[in-house]
Amino acid sequence: MKALPWLASWFQVAPVALLLMLFFGLPMLVVLAVSFFDYGQGRLYPTFILDNYFEIFASSVTVRLYLNSLKFALIVWAVTLLIGFNIAYFLVFHVRTLLWQIGLFLLCTVPFWTSNIIRMISWIPFLGRNGIFNQTFMGLGVVSQPMEFLLFSDFAVVVAYVHLFTLFMVVPIFNSMARIDRSLIEAAYDAGAGPWRIFTEIILPLSKTGIALGSIFVITLVMGDFFVVKVMSGGQSASVASALSTEISQIQYPPAAANAIILVAVVTLMVSGILRLVDLRKELTV
Amino acid sequence: MRQAAGPRPWTFYVFASFFALFVLFLYGPMTVIYILSFQGPTGGLTFPMTGFSFRWFHALVTAERVGDIGGSFQRSIVLAVIVAVLTVVLSVAAGLAFRRRFPGSGVVFYLAIASLIMPGLFVGLGIAVGFQLLGLDIDWYTSALGAQLTWTLPYGLLIMFAVLGRFNRAYEEAATDLGATPWERMREVVLPILLPGIIGVALFGFTLSYDEFPRTVLTVGTRNTLPLEIWAMTTNVTSPALFAVGTVTTIVSFIAIGAALISIAVIQRRRTRGSGNSV
Amino acid sequence: MLSGSGNGEIRMVGVTKRFGDLAAVSDLSLTIPDKAYCCLLGPSGCGKTTILRMIAGHEEPTTGEIRIGGEPVVGLTPVQRGTAMMFQSYALFPHRSVLDNVAFSLKLRGASKADRHRQARELLAKVRMERFADRLPAQLSGGQQQRVALARALITNPRVLLLDEPLSALDEYLRLRMRGELRRVQKELGITFIHVTHTQLEAIAVADLVVVMAQGRIEQAASAREIFTTPRNAYVARFMGGQNVLSGTVESVADGQAIVVDEHGGSFSIAVNGEKPVQGSRLVGSIRRDRIAVSKAQGCAGASDKLNSLLGEVHAIEYQGSYVKVTIERPTGEGFVANVLDVDFFRDPLDIGDSVLARWSAHDVLTLEGAAYAGEASMDEAGGVLI
Repeated sequence: MKALPWLASWFQVAPVALLLMLFFGLPMLVVLAVSFFDYGQGRLYPTFILDNYFEIFASSVTVRLYLNSLKFALIVWAVTLLIGFNIAYFLVFHVRTLLWQIGLFLLCTVPFWTSNIIRMISWIPFLGRNGIFNQTFMGLGVVSQPMEFLLFSDFAVVVAYVHLFTLFMVVPIFNSMARIDRSLIEAAYDAGAGPWRIFTEIILPLSKTGIALGSIFVITLVMGDFFVVKVMSGGQSASVASALSTEISQIQYPPAAANAIILVAVVTLMVSGILRLVDLRKELTV
Repeated sequence: MRQAAGPRPWTFYVFASFFALFVLFLYGPMTVIYILSFQGPTGGLTFPMTGFSFRWFHALVTAERVGDIGGSFQRSIVLAVIVAVLTVVLSVAAGLAFRRRFPGSGVVFYLAIASLIMPGLFVGLGIAVGFQLLGLDIDWYTSALGAQLTWTLPYGLLIMFAVLGRFNRAYEEAATDLGATPWERMREVVLPILLPGIIGVALFGFTLSYDEFPRTVLTVGTRNTLPLEIWAMTTNVTSPALFAVGTVTTIVSFIAIGAALISIAVIQRRRTRGSGNSV
Repeated sequence: MLSGSGNGEIRMVGVTKRFGDLAAVSDLSLTIPDKAYCCLLGPSGCGKTTILRMIAGHEEPTTGEIRIGGEPVVGLTPVQRGTAMMFQSYALFPHRSVLDNVAFSLKLRGASKADRHRQARELLAKVRMERFADRLPAQLSGGQQQRVALARALITNPRVLLLDEPLSALDEYLRLRMRGELRRVQKELGITFIHVTHTQLEAIAVADLVVVMAQGRIEQAASAREIFTTPRNAYVARFMGGQNVLSGTVESVADGQAIVVDEHGGSFSIAVNGEKPVQGSRLVGSIRRDRIAVSKAQGCAGASDKLNSLLGEVHAIEYQGSYVKVTIERPTGEGFVANVLDVDFFRDPLDIGDSVLARWSAHDVLTLEGAAYAGEASMDEAGGVLI
């Protein structure tokens, strides 16, 4: 056994590897296979046809759905980046004691550990026609009529996404920033760099990894979401994933699978684009 | 950029206010829900409050047209505990494995990352169809358990990476030097020192499972977990009972979070209580 | 299991340790007598820590034999060897009290709580830490942690104690105090200590046997006094810091003395008992820094025409309390250092830039082995050549 120390590692990692392969790797292969199946009357016919893909590419709905999803992804990415970056920056560079840092960080993180669905629907009393915003603004005389666009609209979808996913930006960026060696900043200050230069030359480049990671999280979450967009838009807006979930509920597995594969391909492209900027494994492992 | 003590720059106040707004943004809506769950018996889904009552909480327990709250709640808790335990055991083992370079380590690592990033809907789809093709029934303690593990294990692994990265191997060598076998080393030195991290993994395992929705929705079978019941309620239920459920489930989450954080804090304080006298 | 009353003599024969392509230790042979205080001395990367860990059992040699007390130990665990190690970072278990840390190995052997706590307290009393028995390591200072680490290692009754740079984490004042402590404890216990360090003065202060190492090989293994006064080669001479290295080519040989001329044109004589070096061959010697007389000189710098003397400009002056370190610049750039007694120096102080004449007597010049620089030195087990 001494000659093969990594054999022990194999034993230790085997359960996780096995589970991931069984419940992630294989299922993804199943989805791939099913995307080539034929179907009808609630039954699956294992075969190899490309019809599912043709139908998707030929449909104009597909393009619309993708544009819509990408629109959301982009907007949410930009907003969460802006907010997340500032929050992380505040926590790392303006909060002085470790205790406060941890405390405030936890304050932001705790909602993450509660139900997504609850947090999502908690916006309804806020944004509705009789909701808090409208009541407040009407009470203050800012508007004379309730603002309809607040709820069951794209606006509501974006608000919900930002509410749910900003944390995924904050944490990686916080991590990257916290690792920045303070003496670098002091050395730059010593050499005469002003706050803006320090920001652009030191802080921003060294936060790159965190920004990349956060972006990957947010984009995949938005592109893969099917319930936020359904509920918050009142069914008016659709994303690729929500169309997918409709097909699933109608037991149209092959087209759903094909859609899934294409969506995965698109998202993978986006992610690898981001990954060109950062070596994940080096950043995350021991 | 100076961190030294002294008056704070004006930018601090800007950032601080921004932060305060963000916290408000995060907690505001949830707080509204908590308040509204005490809505009076005749009240609706929004303000104004017509009174203060426990009527809607009562509704959950008596299951009047609100679905199987009790059953799904129970299943959620049990499932979350199973997932937490499995995640801890498997993540700790796998994390230890990654301290060496071994053939295939890259594959496992990227598999875990991919599993983390993949939208839950697809994983669920694959498992559900896979089970169907194999002629197996999907159920909450089989297919849903597996699906949830694909979500919690990567998180557990990442946490272990972070914790083990800071772990000083000299402790293990010292233990060996004093006569410990590998198993004694693990039991007496490594695991106790890693305990805060392990509690963190358990917390993630529990809460991620308890609140999990996309992976579970397709793989759970006929007996729902709580998030699925809530999902059904969003379309069926038009009373503040929905908010009552929200309040209850959030309390459970807070209990789990609180227990984990407090135990971690206690352990850390015991081990790093300020320095003693000089010399 | 072997106990501390066993023989603590260590023999290493032909030991090599490779890490991939890199040989940290090459074909090394060394004998450390039982009950000796041995210091492994050398710069970072010289292999001293690797040797320590191989004796401890935390690394195994690629080839070669290691015996402790006459028994081969390669493949045995540290406990089976009867060795114990004190780590550079102390590695006290943060989640256990001081008492439990010390009692740890007894707990592993199944001793009862009362028993092992009693023994641990006794040992803590020996290192004067019994007051802190219930504290956690994080509550102790560096010096205190070190004493606990010592107690923890000693409770296993080892016949060899291995110390990995035990004093480097302490501040200067504590370092000086603790090294006396270590010496005292070693004498009291009567076991072998092997102490790794990169500080020359520390090594000669505590050790019976000093092993000077470079690049995985032993340059010289001898008593502290021998290493300092009669270094074997130029590397040891330079590393220990007490000598100036002189080298040059032989011009003539007469009366058992070779006249050697160096590249600056200066000349010095070296005893060559019985041997007859060829004219033109290289010889290396050294002269102790405190055996040099320095006086102001008139005239410009250049080669002195007298044997065993040197003309130069004062490059640096460092006050060291009982002596003043005067560095004289030679044309090739290598400094020539004279340690002048403070009374002598302040009688007629020198300034930087002064022209000075440095003189020494022929019989103070040591012969060194091999060439002027390490790496060319030859490797055998014989001790230094004495005048």
